Amino acid sequence: MGMGHNFEFSRIRTAVLFLLGSAALAIPAHAQGNKAAPGPAGATFVGSETCKTCHEEIFNGWEKSPHWKQTLKEGGISKHGCEDCHGPGSAHVEGGGDKTKIFMFENASSNDINARCLTCHVGGPEHMNTINSEHAKSGVSCASCHSPHHSESREFLLKKSEPELCYSCHLAQKAQFDMPFHHRVNEGLVQCSDCHNPHGTVGPKQVRASSTQNAICFKCHADKEGPFVYEHAPVKTDGCTSCHLTHGGPNPHMLKLSNVNLLCLQCHTTSTFSTAPGAPSFHNQATFFQACVLCHSQIHGSNFDATLFK
Amino acid sequence: MSPIKAGEKETRPEVKFPGGRGRKAMRSRPGVCSIAFVLFAVALFLSPAARAQDDSGESKGTNWGDYNIHQSVEFGYRANEISGNQDTYGTFVNLGSGVRLFDYTLEMRSLDHNGFLFDNLTFANFGYGGDPNDVSRLRIQKNKKYDFRMQFRRDKNFWDYNLFANPLNPAALNPVGSETTGCIVSPPTAVHPGLPGYCSNPAIAAVNSPHALDLVRRMQDYDLTLFPNSAIRFRLGYSRNRDLGPGFFTTDGGTISDFPETYSYTTNAYRAGVDVRILPRTTISYDQFLSYFKQDNSVTDNPAVTPQNFGFQLANPTVNGTPAGTPVDLGLIWSTQTPAEALPCSAIAAPIINFGTAPPTLTNAACNGFLSYSQVGNPRNSIPTERVRFQSNYFEKFEMSGSAGYSSSDYKYTDLSEFVNDWTARTATRGSTAGGPIETKRVSVNADWSGAYLVTEKFRIVDRFRYDNWRTPGMWVLNETNIFATGFAGITGLQQNQAVFNAANCPLGDFNAVTCPFHTAGSGADVTNGLGLTFLGQNLKSNTIEAEYDYNRRVRGYIGYLYTNRTIAQLDATTNGDTDTSGAACGNLGCSLTYFPGGTAAAATAANDFLAARGSCAFPAAPAPHVLPAGCTLNADGSITFIGPAGPAPTRTLTTINTNAALLGAVVRPIDALRINADLEFGFNDKSYTRIDPTVVQSYKLHVNYKPRPWAMLDGALEIHENRDNATDVNNREHDRSYSFAALLMPNRRLSVDFGYNYWDVYTQSEICFNYSISYSNFPAAGTTVFQTSPPGVATTACPIAGASVLTGAGPNGALSTYSSNDHFAHAALVYKPGKRITTTVGYGGSFVRGSSIFLNPLTPSGTLDYNYQRPYATIVVDIYRGFSYKTSWNYYGFTETGTTNPFGLGGIPLQDFNGSNLTFSFRYAF
Repeated sequence: MGMGHNFEFSRIRTAVLFLLGSAALAIPAHAQGNKAAPGPAGATFVGSETCKTCHEEIFNGWEKSPHWKQTLKEGGISKHGCEDCHGPGSAHVEGGGDKTKIFMFENASSNDINARCLTCHVGGPEHMNTINSEHAKSGVSCASCHSPHHSESREFLLKKSEPELCYSCHLAQKAQFDMPFHHRVNEGLVQCSDCHNPHGTVGPKQVRASSTQNAICFKCHADKEGPFVYEHAPVKTDGCTSCHLTHGGPNPHMLKLSNVNLLCLQCHTTSTFSTAPGAPSFHNQATFFQACVLCHSQIHGSNFDATLFK
Repeated sequence: MSPIKAGEKETRPEVKFPGGRGRKAMRSRPGVCSIAFVLFAVALFLSPAARAQDDSGESKGTNWGDYNIHQSVEFGYRANEISGNQDTYGTFVNLGSGVRLFDYTLEMRSLDHNGFLFDNLTFANFGYGGDPNDVSRLRIQKNKKYDFRMQFRRDKNFWDYNLFANPLNPAALNPVGSETTGCIVSPPTAVHPGLPGYCSNPAIAAVNSPHALDLVRRMQDYDLTLFPNSAIRFRLGYSRNRDLGPGFFTTDGGTISDFPETYSYTTNAYRAGVDVRILPRTTISYDQFLSYFKQDNSVTDNPAVTPQNFGFQLANPTVNGTPAGTPVDLGLIWSTQTPAEALPCSAIAAPIINFGTAPPTLTNAACNGFLSYSQVGNPRNSIPTERVRFQSNYFEKFEMSGSAGYSSSDYKYTDLSEFVNDWTARTATRGSTAGGPIETKRVSVNADWSGAYLVTEKFRIVDRFRYDNWRTPGMWVLNETNIFATGFAGITGLQQNQAVFNAANCPLGDFNAVTCPFHTAGSGADVTNGLGLTFLGQNLKSNTIEAEYDYNRRVRGYIGYLYTNRTIAQLDATTNGDTDTSGAACGNLGCSLTYFPGGTAAAATAANDFLAARGSCAFPAAPAPHVLPAGCTLNADGSITFIGPAGPAPTRTLTTINTNAALLGAVVRPIDALRINADLEFGFNDKSYTRIDPTVVQSYKLHVNYKPRPWAMLDGALEIHENRDNATDVNNREHDRSYSFAALLMPNRRLSVDFGYNYWDVYTQSEICFNYSISYSNFPAAGTTVFQTSPPGVATTACPIAGASVLTGAGPNGALSTYSSNDHFAHAALVYKPGKRITTTVGYGGSFVRGSSIFLNPLTPSGTLDYNYQRPYATIVVDIYRGFSYKTSWNYYGFTETGTTNPFGLGGIPLQDFNGSNLTFSFRYAF
């Protein structure tokens, strides 16, 4: 059709070259990222066994977690165990457990907490956009959702499983997911983190994007993605939320309005500032045109009907 | 349940949903089932090694070899009793009765964090055995070596809520002698306020959703990360999304018919990536994605496959046409009287069906209908994407991240084939075909960059830039035909045969033969070959800069500014190939039209080349020289071909929108137990793309969390979004306001109470123009005819919008379309342990929806404007012995419409209400 070339080979070649180049550059790379948290001036490391003498319950919980191996078992500076995160504890010990002389997460600012955690958990697709995290901006720290010592969830050391964890703050969304028309989040089929990245994304509301930076909705609703010859343009320019609520709502298909025709007529009325065509004159609302989508059934886009009939 | 100690667990206990996850079950794909079964069997095999266990509650697991193993399994039986609308219950809940595996978990942890194959394994499953959602999640890790995650999800998506497209049903004809006779659906009297509407004879109710479906979606995700903590980390992944099942497809072909459609589409997505740390505290990633989409849907409508659509038969008088008794699909919606374009028959007062035969017989041949329909094709889409990302805090006070990606999808649809065997009265066609290759691309280039500069320990400046450019050029090489009928005398409509134009049926010199396609002067071209080219693209640039300041550890705030510029480009260049048109023009791209000869002796004469000279090739009016217009060629077989020139070049529409917004927010902790978050946004767009795109955006969020005691937590939230466009002919206003409150109290080990309330207020309005025209007689005085041009109860004005289409003799009406929904949601749960081994839970969740809207049709039921949806539940768990417990749950689902469910005159439709009780008996064993 002459609308482009097949870039498959060049893509693969680029990928291979990148991998080889990266590997070559990485060989002399230093061990990096992991560094112990700073502590009070002059404080030194006392070792996790010392911590255990007073904090045995916490130690036992931490000992079962993946953090144990990361911070204690394996090499380098990370051998400091508890003090990797809490800082050197000699002053704390010598002060008889003085809480002011060790890093306490519960009293720290979210920025400080996040900085501690990101010392190791930096990079990778999930944490690439921590700068853009609305959670972080709102003072929601890593420790707000994760509990290295007392996690209830088996995965990711979460304080609670989804969606209950998210509902702790997002009260309105709990109500929306309890409406009769909703995404199956309460049922466990879909998780909040399927659509949102709690660690931040480039777009608003921490909403994930597909690999093509298209709407994440298309991961499941793949038949709506197209691209179509005859697009229903707002689906692609403004997104699914032009017509649908995302979490749940009172109306079928989570539409914003209860009546399909009124939803359509909002845009399909000839208007000074609208690019959508107005409904034609033979669309007599008194007759059988009870629902636009009965005829315009391919409302998300069609390949061979400009009127989105089929 | 112990009280929370300060600084220990800043969390709530897990809130159990009505029914919990125990109600999820279903069959999975055999392969995945096998994996799950094998793992389950292995786990059970290992279980005899159990040693250390509590005598109640959760066990500490079993040590076996180098691993601590912890498993739990819950299985049982659910019995349910559903009354009322089963389809609505299926749409909302869809939990059936039967034996279920409600939950199974396996957790293996290496005791010394140095297992042979893995250090940690978690495997969680629920829902197998027949429930609509079944899920398996597996994660296997070996520190520093690999991290593998698998997820399988199966969703049985049943949908049959039949008020989605309300009202579907016509009014019944009131019999002679009744209080009101004739086509009156709502006599405008004090007794029956309202207005007449169109009705049907007979009135046949559509009791199911026209877009009902029963799909099964299976989603699989596999992700493997190699050397997760190394300087070079590799990532591999695969996802598969398979959607399969029956549904329905509606389209307009003279009558709106509801064709069965088999949905079948699959996405296979592969991904590979590498994270490289070249510089200290810097990560660079490269990802390659390959996604393949294939769709194999098919739409079929014929008596052999879909007998339910063919409940009627033709009553043909002769064997020359379609035989008598031929099954016919008359479509979904009937409105047979008065309107100029009624379905499936036009303005026929007498019953169109003779119910005295079996099956009932269509008595009027002029009715639209289908004898068969098929649409098949196999579109494919391949989407390669590559993306480079980086994140760096190499500089002490400057952190940044960014990415750039390129994607180009190639959507090909080479085998489209649509065949329609119908009668469409308005175009006098006996069918049509459509085909032709289709190709569409989506090319996307995007990039983003974010930087945070720590000016001081307390002051930070963050800047974010995003660039997103995509375009979707599309092309359809269209090949369409109109099929006309043979011309046997006295046979019309569906009674006719489809005509085939060839030398045998239409010999030269005898284009009036009854076997020839019979045209009229207004008939469209028999064959249309053309081209459709479209383009849609968007170029977006957005930058946000924010200044964040930590006044102290209790107060922090930010202020920012967002600027976005986006330009949307749209172009439609299409052959005027609509099979309904006369082919008088060829659109922007030119076309090739072929007109076959044929028609009655009176209409098709040598003077008009037997009607081959029609449409774009019609001879000019008087004086009428027998000369074809330019571009038209008379072929040897009597047909005329028109090669149409391209019309005016299409105009590309460009819409540029600039957004400016101010951002403001604060986090305040006046005391340790109180936390307040506030965020504000005020935005302005200088233009709108659609009429519901706002020009003014305001957003207010407030969240207060108060923890007065270690065992008490109170939350309040306010979220308000206000959108508006003040253009006089738009007058769009929207608001979405939520007010929430929640509390969790755990005063002692035996009792916890959780309750909350949410009020959700949604409102939208905009000026709309619509056409409304209705006439009725015998009111207020016999013999008079009254025209009504606006729907009852709707304040209308002349449409204020210049250029709006006008229905002759009626509107268009201008009205302020309003919709509001005020939703109350309340939930509560009480967990009480009367004894060491008994845990009881009583809970409730209820949504109460009250709304209002204008109604453009008096037959419209209120539908989802007003209803109650309530879900109380109760559970009792008895710990029997050493991790073995018994559980009984009762869950109730009640849906009640509280609005106008059946407006006067509307053909009877079932209520959507249902009451469902599920009783679950299950055993749980944790070991």
